[in-house]
Amino acid sequence: MAVNTKEIKQRIKSVKNTKKMTKAMELVSAAKMRKAVQGALATRMFATLARELLEQLASGNKPTSPLLEERPVARLLVILITSNRGLCGSFNANIFKRAWQILQDKTNVARHRGLDGKDIIPLSDVAVDVIGVGKKSATFAKRHNYPLIAAFDHLSERPAFEDILSISSMARKAFTEKTYDKVVVMYTQYNSSLSQTVKARQLLPVSPHDLEKMLVVGEKAEEIPSLKQNGYLFEPNPETIIATIVPRLVDIQLYQAILESSASEHSTRMVAMKNASSSAGDMINGLTLEFNKARQAAITQEIAEIAGGAAALE
Amino acid sequence: MNFSLKIVSPDGPTFSGEVESVSLPTAMGEITVLSHHVPLIAVLASGEARIKQGNETIFLSVSSGVIEIRPDNTVYVLAETAERAEQIDLARAETAKLRAEELMKQRDRMDDEQFALVMAKMEKELARLRVGKKWRNVG
Repeated sequence: MAVNTKEIKQRIKSVKNTKKMTKAMELVSAAKMRKAVQGALATRMFATLARELLEQLASGNKPTSPLLEERPVARLLVILITSNRGLCGSFNANIFKRAWQILQDKTNVARHRGLDGKDIIPLSDVAVDVIGVGKKSATFAKRHNYPLIAAFDHLSERPAFEDILSISSMARKAFTEKTYDKVVVMYTQYNSSLSQTVKARQLLPVSPHDLEKMLVVGEKAEEIPSLKQNGYLFEPNPETIIATIVPRLVDIQLYQAILESSASEHSTRMVAMKNASSSAGDMINGLTLEFNKARQAAITQEIAEIAGGAAALE
Repeated sequence: MNFSLKIVSPDGPTFSGEVESVSLPTAMGEITVLSHHVPLIAVLASGEARIKQGNETIFLSVSSGVIEIRPDNTVYVLAETAERAEQIDLARAETAKLRAEELMKQRDRMDDEQFALVMAKMEKELARLRVGKKWRNVG
């Protein structure tokens, strides 16, 4: 007997087990993805309202807040959002690759784009530090030798707003203390379950322009009629309101980025697991065919042996 | 006369609908908004929001944010957290309050900023407890 049928049988069994597992992971990821997408959409309404409010306030007189200050960049902080777990296809590889590409051109990242075409160009070479969200972010910092100043790997699949406050308050504090002159968040944007793109967005100083870019893409949330400016009363005064709203904008932008990343992670995992399940199916088919062939060959051989034996007796 | 009210938190809209009046805590004291209120932007404080809708009164606990009353008879409340009274988990609120109290005791070892944070948290939890308990007594 050329091929051992027992061995093939065992392999079929193990592949079947793997298939069961990947199938289950696929279903779990699909459910988690749906939740994350819902969360991202729900956040969008709050973010849109807050951004409009800021613009409304900014149109009257230029708001002053330490979080809005644009200064030449000497030190840049990157918040890199990755996954906690593996088995999610090229999700982490993609964000690493893109982040590396973006950071190659440091002057470009560090530049403040003025809406009137006036840019603030960094004075000297830019130092880059990384805050990692997700366990895999440490790999990136280590590989490219960026100092990893903090890593947050305790976030759940669908983080609550309060969970991310520690990250954003850390970034805000570092910015107001002028440790960093610009904070950029890199995340994976969820377009659909088949397409996700890696994006880099300015978190600090707060830029209504970047916020808007982040909010308008993807699925539309409920349409809100825009503010018209006429005779608003302010209580107690516009400054206090700006001081309340600006930090919230930072929080919400980061929250949005994390939710988008989470949705992307689950959808890439879902697709990867789907592929794995279908490959396992193919493998089972191939192995079954081989098993049948081997079984048939064994029977044929046996018959031939019996016939041979009978012929020898005559 | 009714107007439309939306209470939005980062986790999504908590309340949305046509209401008769709403009372909200602000940094300068409680205000009650009726239909055709003058356009106003105010800072929301932690506390209890009361919404009157027909014969019903809905209680919510809200914490820091902004109130925006627009000229077109709509009111938006942007709150960091907003919870309906019936959704408040009293046990969780109680433990959170105790934790905040514990932190307050260590005041000497804190800088002003940290103290302000703890203070805000404390106020938020107290508001949740108050609203949650009230609802349970009524209901």
